[in-house]
Amino acid sequence: MLPLSLLRTAQNHPMLVELKNGETYNGHLVSCDNWMNINLREVICTSRDGDKFWRMPECYIRGSTIKYLRIPDEVIDMVKEETVTKNKQSRDQKGGRGGQNQRNRPAARGNFGGRANKPGGQQKLFQKNKPTKLA
Amino acid sequence: MNKIELEGTAHLLDELDKKLMVLLRDGRTLIGYLRSVDQFANLVLHKTIERIHVGKEYGDIPRGIFIVRGENVVLLGEIDIDREDKLPLTEISVDDVLDAQRKEQELHIEKQRLISKALKERGLQMNADLVQDDLY
Repeated sequence: MLPLSLLRTAQNHPMLVELKNGETYNGHLVSCDNWMNINLREVICTSRDGDKFWRMPECYIRGSTIKYLRIPDEVIDMVKEETVTKNKQSRDQKGGRGGQNQRNRPAARGNFGGRANKPGGQQKLFQKNKPTKLA
Repeated sequence: MNKIELEGTAHLLDELDKKLMVLLRDGRTLIGYLRSVDQFANLVLHKTIERIHVGKEYGDIPRGIFIVRGENVVLLGEIDIDREDKLPLTEISVDDVLDAQRKEQELHIEKQRLISKALKERGLQMNADLVQDDLY
């Protein structure tokens, strides 16, 4: 999961954006692009020293002026869930293809052919391939 | 170690899921787990804290998840977890460290004021607006 993909996942979530000049913008992310340009809604802008505030219904921030973005903790959990479901989908697909192979060339399974038909055996095989990293 | 050394930011991939200290151009220190990087060295830091150092004391402020734009990073390095609790520094409360930081900044400003005054007396003018307080 690349940083910009995470940002895309954070759409419709509240976030804090600090610019290189020290100003911060609090708002909900509407959209973002590959250059990190972003649109925010319901924004509160805070001056560098934190002593002045401005409220605006929406704003656009050019990506190159951003220092960092802070996003809520739950966004990373959404990524985890997404990765798990994605992997599950691709796993199911692979499983289907595997089944076909088994039917087409039963001899190819050789010594392991018997084992693969047991529900337990196949499950174990897939658990080994389960990804642990977010990336 | 990898036998083939990867070029440039690709080194950062070795640091994935490790606890890193990141120093930003504005002088701030972030400590968190590196979850992701891209070709611009944009970083995703998880369970991040901001550590403020004043002299031999420091304070930690929990900050959560950061997406740091790569160009603002000065340096980053892995934190040795085994040696982390043997720091020659003392942790103090966030309020105290913010207080100490404010005093330090006031001292710094006062020093700058005296310097520019002395320079002015010798016919040199320092324009405060042109003096970057950006560290790097």
